[in-house]
Amino acid sequence: MRPDPLYARYPFLDAARAAVQAADISPPRLVTEGDPAVDRARERVERALMSGTVAPETPERWSDRDELLSYPIARILVSLVDVPAAVEKYADAEAETAFERLRTDFAADDAELRSVSTPRADLSTFLDEFDLDGAVRRVADERGGSAPDAFRVDVTAYLRLADPDWGADWRLVNRDLADGAVPVATDELHRLLREAVRRRVASGLPFEVRGSTGGDALAAALDDDVTALRDRLAERERLPSVETVTPERFPPCIQALLDRADGDLPAHSAFAVTAFLVSLGLDADAIAERWPGLDDGNLSYRATVLADDGGGGSQYPAPSCATMQTFGDCVNPDERCETIDHPRRYYAAAVAAAERSTSDD
Amino acid sequence: MDRRTRNYLSGRFGDYYRSADPALPPAPERREWGHIPWTSGSTTMVRHQSIYDLGDVADFLQREAPRHVYFSAARYDDPGAGSMDDKGWQGADLVFDLDADHLPGVDPEAVTYAEMLAACKDALCRLLDLLETDFGFEDVTVVFSGGRGYHVHVRDDGVADLDSAARREVVDYVRAVDLDVEGLVRTRAVGGATRRELRTGGGWGRRTHHRLRSFVTDVRDLPADEATERLTAFDGIGEGRAETLLDAFVDNERAVERGNVEAGGPGARRLVEALAAETVAAETAPIDEPVTTDTRRLIRLPGTLHGGSGLVVRRLDRDEIDDFDPLVDAVPERFTRRSVRVAVTDPGTVELDGDTFTVDAGEQTVPECVAVFLMTRGRARKVKE
Ligand code: SF4
Repeated sequence: MRPDPLYARYPFLDAARAAVQAADISPPRLVTEGDPAVDRARERVERALMSGTVAPETPERWSDRDELLSYPIARILVSLVDVPAAVEKYADAEAETAFERLRTDFAADDAELRSVSTPRADLSTFLDEFDLDGAVRRVADERGGSAPDAFRVDVTAYLRLADPDWGADWRLVNRDLADGAVPVATDELHRLLREAVRRRVASGLPFEVRGSTGGDALAAALDDDVTALRDRLAERERLPSVETVTPERFPPCIQALLDRADGDLPAHSAFAVTAFLVSLGLDADAIAERWPGLDDGNLSYRATVLADDGGGGSQYPAPSCATMQTFGDCVNPDERCETIDHPRRYYAAAVAAAERSTSDD
Repeated sequence: MDRRTRNYLSGRFGDYYRSADPALPPAPERREWGHIPWTSGSTTMVRHQSIYDLGDVADFLQREAPRHVYFSAARYDDPGAGSMDDKGWQGADLVFDLDADHLPGVDPEAVTYAEMLAACKDALCRLLDLLETDFGFEDVTVVFSGGRGYHVHVRDDGVADLDSAARREVVDYVRAVDLDVEGLVRTRAVGGATRRELRTGGGWGRRTHHRLRSFVTDVRDLPADEATERLTAFDGIGEGRAETLLDAFVDNERAVERGNVEAGGPGARRLVEALAAETVAAETAPIDEPVTTDTRRLIRLPGTLHGGSGLVVRRLDRDEIDDFDPLVDAVPERFTRRSVRVAVTDPGTVELDGDTFTVDAGEQTVPECVAVFLMTRGRARKVKE
């Protein structure tokens, strides 16, 4: 099988799926024969869950065929892992990778477009693929150049894809809605396409693999991989525990709360900062000594309750970034913040980075 | 409600249905149907029915003469299934409900029914303007609810599969919830420099821009001191800023037209914000959010009678709306031909069928539509003729 190289880059396309079907390849046989596509599928899922991308670490290692076939096998793996977080992360990673490739492709100039070695996707193919060809129109500005809002998207298509949680700018109420269309900038259109890809990938996942002889055999053959992936995922979900206390490496939100603490933090903020400190193994006395501003009379009660669950942080875990944001406690996020979802992960990463740099020199 | 009153009303509703033929919504066989019968004390809805459970709808209405009749905005694979999960949701019309109870600044206790309905019609016109001008919807059905307001059903391509979250975005747009007023002015790079511009292309920016333009037109025709006065009436605009604004806007029509507020100085931001607030107050429509976001809601069937007023749930053509007077045009013609005898328990004024009736307590003979209105609202009961 020598698939269209475009399908290798975008294996979720309908045509790519059709090509796999036409080739009449049986996943169980690939698995039992130890086909490279299965190795690539394993990497695909693992990278998705761990690093948020499905791009291979060493692209030279895989043929277009491996790439294309690894996609349906990866879907089988994700279905067998059968954890909601796995489906979400996987779909998001496929979408993110496609999004990055698309941006490169769309930015490629004509010469590159004609190049045979790297097949490029073009916008209209993608709009077509997701039934958006009728819903998206390109507009030129008065001077014929490209306007800041280069496209108009039908409001119903916009509403279907845009998520209000992406930020106030995405809220329909803040868009220049007119005559049933929402003007969007080029990179916003790409963001919408990313969402379309994410939904395409997520739809139908997880599916039932077992239940037929072939399916049962397949599940059995992939059992070790599935267990390994589940373990990696659980490990990833667990919050890192760091026992050193180095306030300079605390995340910006915690530093800000500590700076502000003067015996009168709002309850949620006092809770957030105390929970964070307790997770480092500090008790009420130690906290009160270093940060007297936190000693508002309830500190020892709070610290005791928080420590009560054995320190694992499972009963009253320190709040995540999402919760911090909700309460307005996420302040001055920096670059590292973009790579983490929990202040404790921020701190663990900051401590690890500092250790790396000291051991380097 | 006593038995005599109930029998009377259900009989007369049945008579109404003998000559009425409510138009069915598109794809009636995929809708869920519901009704509330006249049985004693019943407010329980019979729902989860498919149209096949009703049989012929016209027949069903004549036979059962229900107190209230509903159909689902949604379409289902199996509308008659007993639980929502088993129905197989396929999509739903986008529905809006304007209810006099939710109109800001209208106290249902303090104003008459007629005034309330008039305020509601204003809100309806604002809603339609948003749906048509901004959303560009074309398949829009307007219905007088038979009670305190209006329903709007939108069935354009693409709306059916919108989920609740997407519908909430529509609601927030219509009500300007979470509008970023400061964001209405954005900074744009124009040949090396940056310029602050009011967004004029659409949305609440365009609506604010229209208001700014007509404000400037008004001010332009005023003597200088009055113009200054108009401007300084806004918070944060003193004489100095007013003067800058007058120079920038009144004398420079092009700038205002393009939404360029750079030259207006710091006062321009204040002016735009104040006008945006006016725009929002004057052009939003206070729709009832849950009705729009609930994709499994049942809505009154146009052409049926509202069992809490005896008025017709009436579908309105676009060109009918201006002149539509629910208290005349939604009165069933059949109930205007004779007078009947009732015992009034809750007296007062009733405006109906183009007349105002002051009804005292006790037994009396009144036009039938008034009698039906009072009885359905529990303010009177039927007595022997
Ligand atoms: S992103 Fe997270 S770690 Fe960073 S400041 Fe916000 S809450 Fe703190």
